[in-house]
Amino acid sequence: MSLPRALVPLLVLGLAASARAAEPDAKGVEFFERKVRPILAERCYGCHSAQAKKVRGGLLLDTREGWAKGGDTGPAIVPGDPGKSLLVQAIQWTDETLQMPPKGKLPPEEVAILLDWVKRGAPDPRHGGVAAKPRQVIDIEAARRMWAFQPLKPAAPPKVTNESWPRNPVDRFILAKLEEKGIAPNATAAKRTLIRRAYLDLIGIPPTPEEVEAFVNDGSNDAFERAIDHLLASPHYGERWGRHWLDLARFAESHGFEHDYDRPTAYHYRDFVIEALNRDLPYDTFVQWQIAGDELAPSDNLALKATGFLAAGVHSTQITANQVEKERYDELDDIVNTIGTSMLGLTIGCARCHDHKFDPIPQKDYYRLLSTFTTTVRTEYDLKIDPEGDAKALAAYEREHAPLVAALQKFEAEQLPARFEEWEKTRPESPGQPAWVVLDLAETRSQGGAAFKKQDDGSYLASGKNVDFDTYRFVAHVDLKGITGLKIEALADPSMVKGGPGRAANGNFDLTQVTVTAGSRDGKSAAETIVLQNPKATFEQPGLPIAAAIDDNPKSGWAVDPQFGKNHAAVFEFGRDISFEGGTTLTITLVFNGNNMHNIGRPRLSVTTAPRPVGLDGNPTPLNIAQALKTPRSERKADQTAALLTWYRAIDPEWQKLNKAVGDHAAKAPKPSVVKALISSEGLPAVRLHTQGGDFLEKTHFLKRGDPNQKLEEATEAFLSVLTTAPDAEKHWIVPPPQGWRTSYRRRALANWITDVDYGAGNLLARVIVNRLWQHHLGRGIISTPSDFGAQGEKPTHPELVDWLASELIRNGWKLKPLHKLIMLSAVYQEAAELDTNKLKADHDNKLFWHYSRQRLEAEAIRDAMLAVSGLLDETPFGPGTLDEKQKRRSIYFTVKRSKLIPMMVLFDAPDALQGTGLRPSTTIAPQSLMLMNSPIVREWAEGFARRVEMKAKGSVPDAVKSAYLIALGREPTADELTDGTAFIEQQRETYPAKALQPALADFCQVLLSLNEFVFVD
Amino acid sequence: MPLEPHLFATPPRAYSTRRSFLQRAGSGMGLLALTGLLDQEGFRASAHAETDERALHPLAPRPSHFPAKAKSVIWLFMNGGQSQVDTWDYKPELIKRHGTELEGFDKNTGFFTGQVGPLMKSPFKFEKRGQSGTWVSEIFPNIAGHVDDMAFIHSCFTETNNHSPALFEINTGMSRMGFPCVGSWVTYGLGTENQNLPAFVVMYDTLGRGLPKGNASNWGPGFLPGIYQGTALNGQGPPMDNLFRPASMTDKQQRSQIDLLTRLNGRFQQENPGEAALAARIETFELAYRMQMTAPDALDYNNESPATKALYGIDDPKCTHFAKQCLMARRLVERGVRFVQIYSGGMENERSWDGHQDIVKNHAGFALETDQPIAALLSDLKQRGLLDSTLILCCGEFGRLPIVQKGGTGRDHNPHAFTTWMAGGGVKPGVHYGETDEFGHKAVVDRVSVNDLHATVLHLLGIEHTRLTYRFNGRDFRLTDVAGRVVKEVIA
Repeated sequence: MSLPRALVPLLVLGLAASARAAEPDAKGVEFFERKVRPILAERCYGCHSAQAKKVRGGLLLDTREGWAKGGDTGPAIVPGDPGKSLLVQAIQWTDETLQMPPKGKLPPEEVAILLDWVKRGAPDPRHGGVAAKPRQVIDIEAARRMWAFQPLKPAAPPKVTNESWPRNPVDRFILAKLEEKGIAPNATAAKRTLIRRAYLDLIGIPPTPEEVEAFVNDGSNDAFERAIDHLLASPHYGERWGRHWLDLARFAESHGFEHDYDRPTAYHYRDFVIEALNRDLPYDTFVQWQIAGDELAPSDNLALKATGFLAAGVHSTQITANQVEKERYDELDDIVNTIGTSMLGLTIGCARCHDHKFDPIPQKDYYRLLSTFTTTVRTEYDLKIDPEGDAKALAAYEREHAPLVAALQKFEAEQLPARFEEWEKTRPESPGQPAWVVLDLAETRSQGGAAFKKQDDGSYLASGKNVDFDTYRFVAHVDLKGITGLKIEALADPSMVKGGPGRAANGNFDLTQVTVTAGSRDGKSAAETIVLQNPKATFEQPGLPIAAAIDDNPKSGWAVDPQFGKNHAAVFEFGRDISFEGGTTLTITLVFNGNNMHNIGRPRLSVTTAPRPVGLDGNPTPLNIAQALKTPRSERKADQTAALLTWYRAIDPEWQKLNKAVGDHAAKAPKPSVVKALISSEGLPAVRLHTQGGDFLEKTHFLKRGDPNQKLEEATEAFLSVLTTAPDAEKHWIVPPPQGWRTSYRRRALANWITDVDYGAGNLLARVIVNRLWQHHLGRGIISTPSDFGAQGEKPTHPELVDWLASELIRNGWKLKPLHKLIMLSAVYQEAAELDTNKLKADHDNKLFWHYSRQRLEAEAIRDAMLAVSGLLDETPFGPGTLDEKQKRRSIYFTVKRSKLIPMMVLFDAPDALQGTGLRPSTTIAPQSLMLMNSPIVREWAEGFARRVEMKAKGSVPDAVKSAYLIALGREPTADELTDGTAFIEQQRETYPAKALQPALADFCQVLLSLNEFVFVD
Repeated sequence: MPLEPHLFATPPRAYSTRRSFLQRAGSGMGLLALTGLLDQEGFRASAHAETDERALHPLAPRPSHFPAKAKSVIWLFMNGGQSQVDTWDYKPELIKRHGTELEGFDKNTGFFTGQVGPLMKSPFKFEKRGQSGTWVSEIFPNIAGHVDDMAFIHSCFTETNNHSPALFEINTGMSRMGFPCVGSWVTYGLGTENQNLPAFVVMYDTLGRGLPKGNASNWGPGFLPGIYQGTALNGQGPPMDNLFRPASMTDKQQRSQIDLLTRLNGRFQQENPGEAALAARIETFELAYRMQMTAPDALDYNNESPATKALYGIDDPKCTHFAKQCLMARRLVERGVRFVQIYSGGMENERSWDGHQDIVKNHAGFALETDQPIAALLSDLKQRGLLDSTLILCCGEFGRLPIVQKGGTGRDHNPHAFTTWMAGGGVKPGVHYGETDEFGHKAVVDRVSVNDLHATVLHLLGIEHTRLTYRFNGRDFRLTDVAGRVVKEVIA
């Protein structure tokens, strides 16, 4: 219904225009005034008149011009033609998407009146302007003047009065503002505080007592710088800072929605983030790869893993037919929205239903950007984890393999013809009818979708799909008369496990049902089912005899465990001889219904005309071979000779030996070492769940009001207009993919635009990331709404500093580690946290950064710090995570399952991974305290901590207290603390059996882990 | 209920500027909080006190926009989708046209597009009950006695025909994942009356039939701070995590720990004056210590009178599990808990009201589990004078089709119509609002969207739905998005 509707206005415009001119006659006016106007006024004006609080759909019904021009969907009334009048359609509620008034259908008499009115030509005396407010059009040029969309303007660091304070240019920007306000920055924090701050900040675990002492006792000028270098080089750096990015990427390892199925290979994206940060991958590349790593660096595993970013969002696991489009648009929306907030600090998603209300993002931009991902799907990809090793192994294999192949070829060329000749002279069967004639199949069908490939010997090798319970249907046309039996061979083949002959995981098959029908080839005699009797087999697995394949039990069958890697055969005698004039059509159906994937892998079917009883003996021969054999050698055609040789070699023992050597060796061909990873790409099979539709829609359309039922024309790729200044616009980045390449290169274009500092979004990209770094180091961003740099976001407190830092980032090749260092070596980072009452009055919110903002650690850092202090931390990096809350690896290695978030993480405000977030709340609630008091896991850590302490203290309680303080807090206890701690431990001891020290120490250690000083970065 | 303002507290880094918090909180509740509460720590200049209060004590009770009819909500969620035509939407025409085809039916309406059968009358007998003359299905013999206290909206509809998106929609207003649910919005807006208990409690099936589809996202806080998440009582074992002291530890030992902690934290506090966050955190340990006692007590119904237990059917195997939950719900709202949601039925299909196969067996079965406890809850609340201040709301995530699902005697999903009933909390008793078509297939008269329903719930709680906002990623979000009409017709 919706597409034609979009066309209607164009078709009827002319009509509407001519109708508009005619003034209604008196009768018409009377009809309108008496009957129509009251209905319109009562039922419609609420939303469709100048007096409406909000005009809906852009449609006005209070003037003739209003309905003639119509609303968003075109003219509402075509005078005289109710069929073409949207208003009539709407009030009749015939179209589900267009029902007016929305709250309930009009009474039938009112519908009749309006219908009558339109039929009469819609006489309407009401004149007046089309009062709808003109739609506000976004002025892109003007919008470019907003600070966030301007090119970087790196000003020189300002002059300051107190020249002694700045440690680097960053401080000049800060101090200049502070001096303006007359606020003195705080003094530098104590060295102990500083080193703890740096550790928690950069690697998320506290320094050991030894590390603290080493730093405190290092009097050199560059002591802090070296400490920072050390931390930035630590593999823990990526584990700490990667988590910040994973928040933005709404990273999780399950699909969400009803089943929340796992994404067991999604962890590779998490590992990418950690590794990229540890390697200091330039941030522009970091961003590019997440959008189009598979297009930009298709052979780089890290780049492929990066595209997990696009795949990380939720995906409905059960999509009904009428939700397919909506779900796909939702999914694309998630991608574009997440790119917007995480990378550009823009709420692009707000332009889905209408132009962005505050920022210069027209709805058109949204859909054109969306189209970038039209054909992008989640896919599980085999990452080659050791390409060098693979190549070496392959070369070694080929060196060994070549001589075997050569030997076989040599044998075929030099000896085979003579041996065939020899064999022909002495072969056991006389020329004429062979015992078994191989059926040349006219039709081979696997219900489960396996593919059959005909082999030289007349067998059919199954490949591809191997469903749990397949059924094969074979059709053959034969000219033989008096057929008495059928032979079914299950031949071995190196392509199967253990050489088959079955496709099951152990090489077995389970043939549960054999049926044969026969009829005349010309169809004159209908096919009838042939009775099968006296079955015999070369081997029967105990309990699974061949007779079971023709009994009434659909589950019982014939199998051959443990005789794997060998040819097997079964024969069935026909109940009567089969002969049809003009040839017989045989249909043979094999059912494998006994065990999963127990399907025969290389069947060969043959029939015999030998007299009963039909036995297993005799080598099946294809009919053409039989004919060729019958032909005297001198009269054989070349192709007959070739066919004979090909057929013969399979029964030549020498050839078999050589061929087996080749096959056996080929079976040992090295497989590339791979690991499956969830990535995003195009032209690869999508991860499919229960969906009643395709994996993607072929085209992305502009949607009216974001509604997939209201499609407009196709949207083609372009980027945000406000950030596109290239003379050739989006074409500047769009290049066609190379011939034959499987992806569209659309994402590559986006990746190049988003990092382009000359004509694209590169400057904003840089501003957003430097602000995020600043935010995590200093507790608040220079722009305090880190994912919203738009008009609704906060303005930067130090705009020049943002631009200066962004320019530094770009100048340093987008490397983040130098930027961390720059920030951390500044005086502002090293300020003490103390709060001065007067300064608070002047700048309560520390917008000018006069003090270090004390921050509670995030969930992961709290847990990791406790684990580290307990001595129980397992530092194994990377790989699959776990949902086990008791695990001892760093928290970033918890599996993020959307329906089973780790309670301990959620308690301390870890995000739910449904939408990206750049700013975690930091709550303080009683259940957190309950956890610290009562959780057996925390208790286990406290006990681990106590064991460490006890070992150091060697039985002295005061020494234990000292040691515990050093380990947990990096400092000695004060005299009071020492007294309190000692007294507490002694007192608790009294309450434990045998005055045990260990549990009392654990009680004390648990208290230290709960201290404010422990969970806050000072 | 005495006010204990510091027991849940948030010293937010996210709200590190008061202004940013205010902006997030929107022009609605954020400003409402500016009522001059004193800053009890006395650290801050008084000009900052109000917003710091909001930030530090996010669950402290907060005034509503206008006088509220209801103080708390008990939402009885008939998970899986209750059939309107077999419960509260009596359709004589459906009986007449039983076995005939439903003309113009779109086969994509339900979930099983290939199993579209003819119209099927309700297998249950209906009877007019009460002064209101409400038609009641025979499967609700006990609730039938309360129809004059109930208000019915027969014209509810939703946008999606599949469980999990529909669950998200009715719980959060959006069929997509990731948005705050009604309970989260309400506790964000109003806080709670008892700081010793969770503000928002969820109970799900305890018979091992699973959680509603989408699990905890149904009571998730979305982008609101985590404290506004529903606390789901564990189906088995201890009702809440970490609620009980480790068995190896005595109360005295733990008390000594907390005393030491308070002393040490107190000293740190003195050395670092001005940090309200530190003080707030000290208090949470005292609160946690108290919660260990108050929470189990609130959830322990054993001391209820035998008469009360019998009223709910606590010892009747047909409904024990749901009776316990209804009784706990009463105990919770009695103690000032703001929002309680109870799910009847587990995940889907025959484990819930999702009666695809056999509507008689399914709906009669689940009615048997719920009828007596729900009726008891209504009686009990009324008897205790709590019904006026407690809004009871009952619905599923969608309705069911008036046609039979081929291959059985059940009904498939129907997004176009379902009935919601409400009682207490300022609801107009005994009214029926909205209508479906003659077969109960689609809501046609006075249609009520999920946004409308939410707007109405908020209204009864004294909240103007357009003013309850939260800024996230640059946008002011509302529970009712850009829509919502208060259904005044069902308000007393």
